Amino acid sequence: MKSTSEKTFVELLQKHQNIVHKICRLYTNDVDAHNDLFQEISIQLWKAYPKFRGESKFSTWMYRVGLNTSITLYRKSLRRVESQRIESVAYKLSYEDYDDTKDEQLKLIYAAVHKLNDIEKGIIFLYLENKNYREISETLGISEVNARVRMTRIKTKLKTQLTS
Amino acid sequence: MDELELLKKDWETSSKNYPELDKKTLYKLINKQSSSIVKWIFIISLLEFALWTLVSIVSNDAESLEKLKSYNVEYIIYPLTVFGYLVIGYFFYVFYKNYKNISTTEDTKMLMERILKTRKTVKHYVIFNLVFVCISIVIGVYIEITNNPEVQTLINGIEADGAKNVTIFYLIVVGISILAMALITAILLGFYYLIYGLLLKRLKANYKDLKELVTEQ
Repeated sequence: MKSTSEKTFVELLQKHQNIVHKICRLYTNDVDAHNDLFQEISIQLWKAYPKFRGESKFSTWMYRVGLNTSITLYRKSLRRVESQRIESVAYKLSYEDYDDTKDEQLKLIYAAVHKLNDIEKGIIFLYLENKNYREISETLGISEVNARVRMTRIKTKLKTQLTS
Repeated sequence: MDELELLKKDWETSSKNYPELDKKTLYKLINKQSSSIVKWIFIISLLEFALWTLVSIVSNDAESLEKLKSYNVEYIIYPLTVFGYLVIGYFFYVFYKNYKNISTTEDTKMLMERILKTRKTVKHYVIFNLVFVCISIVIGVYIEITNNPEVQTLINGIEADGAKNVTIFYLIVVGISILAMALITAILLGFYYLIYGLLLKRLKANYKDLKELVTEQ
């Protein structure tokens, strides 16, 4: 029997699953790894769900758990076997975007973003999600000034990579 | 920055193109086993705990207990055993508390600090075990030499051959003990390096990165 909280959680997860997909897109390079991370984030969200008190929006809470999982808990190399099991669940992703980006320029930008380290990916992800520096700093546990400094540095880093 | 604007625009459009997983698939997903680092640290520490308990049970079989009894050395053995169990029990409690305290709902830096604290506990646990094993070896060798009648006869025999031989005998005993300790230490350290060192390598790098950012200001 599925409990009420499990039912509510799955409904919320289904509604906001885009957030998890987007995190996976930044932190992984292929469909297998994407599936792996998607699974791990979903599990971590479910494990942390009893602590979700509705003080923040469910989506905001998802950003935090999702990024924390990607930055601190996730280890790609341990997951090879698991990902095959996921595929057998008929969990399919069409990821033409990964290697068939229409625009050559965009392809290069994504490649440059993938080269950033885990923390930088977290910052740029929140930036792309229109989060302000206060929200970025709260999620990562750094000051707003630090978040700003790092964002400027990421911009420079990306620019250097793209022009070289 | 043009590139970032371009990326942002694409980010928004492509966010509509992600697959929609149905509820059934999501149910299956959340009920799968997590393979997060913390869980592995906890499982490994539990296995270790089981291993050490097993080692102490095996080494305390009836025969060797009987032998120790005849030596009249309970005054060393019992306190040592009780002390060992108390410390292991304490570590077990801390491991569990660390594991429970780690929550993905905290900010990233705090989460990293907690995971690294878990690692520190593991490190202390390893050091304790190594020291304890070494002390046990020293005490064990001492007890055997002073109490075991066979060893006594052997020493008496050697003594009859000349005082110089006794020194050589003791040197050999010390040498073998040190070799045994070194071997055990090397095996355990290698094992811990493989498990915890590799498991936490990336986390450590990320933590360093985040910490550097904070100290720069």
